[in-house]
Amino acid sequence: MTTSSFPKSSNSPLQAWIPAFRQHVLPPLLGILGFLLIWQLFSSSGLTRLPGPASIVLEERTRELLLYPFYDLGGLDKGLFWQTLASLQRVAIGYCAAALVGISLGILIGLSPFMNKALDPIFQFLRTVPPLAWVPIALAALQQNEPAALFVIFITAIWPILINTAVGVQQIPQDYRNVARVLQLPKQKFFFQILLPSALPYIFTGLRIAIGLAWLAIIAAEIVMSGIVGIGFFIWDAYQNNYISEIILALVYIGGVGLILDRSMAWLQSRLFR
Amino acid sequence: MVRLDRSRRKFLLSAGAYTSSSVLLASCLGNPPSRTQNTVATPVSSSVDSNLETTTIKLGYIPIVEAAPLIVAKEKGFFAQYGMSGVEVSKQANWGSARDNVEIGSAGGGIDGGQWQMPMPYLISEGLITKNNVKVPMFVLAQLNTQGNGIAIANKHLGQGFGLDVSGTRDYIVGLKAAGTPFKAASTFPKANQDFWIRYWLAAGGIDPDNDLDLLVVPAAQTVANMQTGTMDAFSTGDPWPYRIVADQIGFMAALTAQIWPAHPEEYLAVRADWVEKHPNATKALLKGVIEAQRWCDLPENRPELAEILAGRNYFNLPVEILTSTLQGKYTLGDGKPAVDNFQSGPLYWKDDRGNVSYPYQSHDLWFLTESVRWGFLPPDTLTTAQELISQVNREDLWREAAQELGIAASDIPSDTSRGIETFFDGISFDPQNPQAYLDQLTIKRI
Repeated sequence: MTTSSFPKSSNSPLQAWIPAFRQHVLPPLLGILGFLLIWQLFSSSGLTRLPGPASIVLEERTRELLLYPFYDLGGLDKGLFWQTLASLQRVAIGYCAAALVGISLGILIGLSPFMNKALDPIFQFLRTVPPLAWVPIALAALQQNEPAALFVIFITAIWPILINTAVGVQQIPQDYRNVARVLQLPKQKFFFQILLPSALPYIFTGLRIAIGLAWLAIIAAEIVMSGIVGIGFFIWDAYQNNYISEIILALVYIGGVGLILDRSMAWLQSRLFR
Repeated sequence: MVRLDRSRRKFLLSAGAYTSSSVLLASCLGNPPSRTQNTVATPVSSSVDSNLETTTIKLGYIPIVEAAPLIVAKEKGFFAQYGMSGVEVSKQANWGSARDNVEIGSAGGGIDGGQWQMPMPYLISEGLITKNNVKVPMFVLAQLNTQGNGIAIANKHLGQGFGLDVSGTRDYIVGLKAAGTPFKAASTFPKANQDFWIRYWLAAGGIDPDNDLDLLVVPAAQTVANMQTGTMDAFSTGDPWPYRIVADQIGFMAALTAQIWPAHPEEYLAVRADWVEKHPNATKALLKGVIEAQRWCDLPENRPELAEILAGRNYFNLPVEILTSTLQGKYTLGDGKPAVDNFQSGPLYWKDDRGNVSYPYQSHDLWFLTESVRWGFLPPDTLTTAQELISQVNREDLWREAAQELGIAASDIPSDTSRGIETFFDGISFDPQNPQAYLDQLTIKRI
C-alpha cells in the first residue's frame, strides 16, 4: 500500500501505485466495466427495451442532467445534486430517529426476556410490511404530510437496528454477566463497560443494513409529499414519463450515496473497535 | 534527466488536471445553456384588491393538459395580477395523492385544492373516498377545460373494428372473455371522468364494462408499459397520452371524447370549503386569475407558448413536440381512421361550440352524479337529493361574481345554471330536468 514497502522504486511514486492499483482498484473496475459492457451489448441487441448505459450520455435530456448536477432553475427544476441532497436530509432524519428508537428498544428487549416474548411477534409481523403500504397508514395516523413521509423512512429502517441490537444484547457471554454480578457492578458501569462494547458489532451490522433500507423508502416517502424536490419524486416523475435513462442516472446517485454512507459507517465501526 | 522527466510529467499531469477540471467546473456549476429561462413579463398589477384575506394558496395538479389554466395563471402572472402573488402549484404523484393531500390541507403540508376529475369534489365532500370517511367539504369553482381525452387500444387489436361505435367488436370482446383471456382496460382513478368515458363508450356498443371485460385502475405510465408488452388492451386517458401511444406505435385511438360527447364537461377547479369561506375575496381573485389564463390558453396564437410552458421540467417534463399537435387539435387515430385536424376537437379552455367552458354548469355535476348512480357507485336515492348536494358543492355564484367584476361580456356569462339537454354520439340525451328519463333510455346499467 505505502511507498515504504517498495524502497527501490522511490524514484517514481507511480511505480508504487501499480501493485496497489492491481490489487484494489483493478478488480472492481474490471467488474464494473464488464457489467456495463454486457448490459450495453444486451440492450443494443434489441432483445430488450432497456436502454444501455451509454444512453445516459447519448440521450439529450439525460446528458443535460449528467453534465449539470448543480443547476437550479427554481421549483422542481433542479440538478440531481440538489435532488439527492434534499432526499439525503429526509433519509438522515428518518434514519437517525430509527437508530435512536431502534437501539433503545433493542436493548430493552435484549435485557428483558418478558419484553422479548411480548413484543417479538409484533415486530416480526410489522417488519414485513412494504414501505408503500405504510403510506396511507402514516397519513391517516399523523394527518401531516412531512411527518408521514419521515415516518415511512423511519419505520422501514428501524427493524434491522432493533432486532440486531436485541440479539447483540442477548448474546453477551454469560461469563461477563456473572463477573458483573460477582463484582456487584453498578448498572451504569455494566451498561457502558460490558453491554455496549459486546453488543456494538451487532448494532453496527443493524445500522449498516438499515441505511440501505432507509433509501429504499425514499420513493414511497416522496410520493406522499408530492411536488417536492427530491430524488424519489424525481424517479416517480421520470417513471410517469417513461424516461428510463433518467431513472438509471438517478439510481447511480442513490447507489453512490448509499455506498458512501455504508463505507463511512464501516469506517466509524473500525474506529470504535480500535 | 530523470528529474526533468518527472517534473515534466508532473507539470503535464497537473496542467491537464487543471484545464479539464476547470472545463468541468465551468460546465457543471452553471445552468444548461439550452435551458435559459424565458423571462415572464408580469402584467401590471393594476387590479389588485387590497381586501384580500391572503395572497397564498397551494393548488395541486396532475401533469395532463387539464392543468394548463392553473399553470398558465401562475407562469404568466395572472394570479399575481389579481393580488394572489403567492399561489403555489404543486405536482401530485397521482390522483390518490392529490386526494390525500387535500384531506390534509396546506397547513399540514398538503394542498388547499386544485384540479379534479368529477365527481371527486363530491366524493371528498361526502367522505366517500377519504380516510375513515371523514367529510372534507369542497367547493367547485370553475371548469378547467373540455375534451382532450380519448380511448386508446393496443396494437394487437388492429383491424377488429374498434372505433366510435364498438357494437361490431362485441362478439370479439365477449369471445376473449370466454377464451379465458378477458379484454383488459384501464383508467387512472375509479368512479370519475376517464372511468365514465370508457364505460359510456363500451355500453353504447352493447358491451357491459362490468361483466364482459376487466376494467382496472392503473397508473398511466404502467398502463402504457403494459400495452406495450401486451398485457393491457385499452386505456381511457387524457392528452398527451393519446399522442404518445400512437407516436410510439403502442396502440391506436378508437375514439376521442370530443366525438363521444362534444363539448363535454372535463376537469374542474375545486378548493376546500373552509379555505373559501375564510378567504372570500382571495377566492374571487383566484378565479379571476384562472379565467384570464383560460382566455389566454384559447387564443390559437398562444398555443405554441402554452406547449413550451407546460413541457418544462417544472411542469410536465416532456419534449415540447408531444404537446404541440395535441394543443392544435391534431390527432392521428390510426387503424384506418381519418386523422382529426380541428382546433375545436382538442382541449378547449374558454369557449367551445356550446358556449362558455370555464363556467361550472350545475347540470353537468348532475350528469356526473346520475352516471354514478347508473353504475351503482352511488345509491339511487342520490337523484332525489342531488339538487341540494349540488347547490352545496357547486359555487357557480362565485364564478359569476368574479366574471362580472372582471368585466367579462354579459353574453359570455351563462344566464342559467343548466346548459340544457346534452346529446351523446349514440343519440341518447340527458335532460337535466329529468335525469331518470336518461337512465331509462340506457340498457346497460347497475340499477
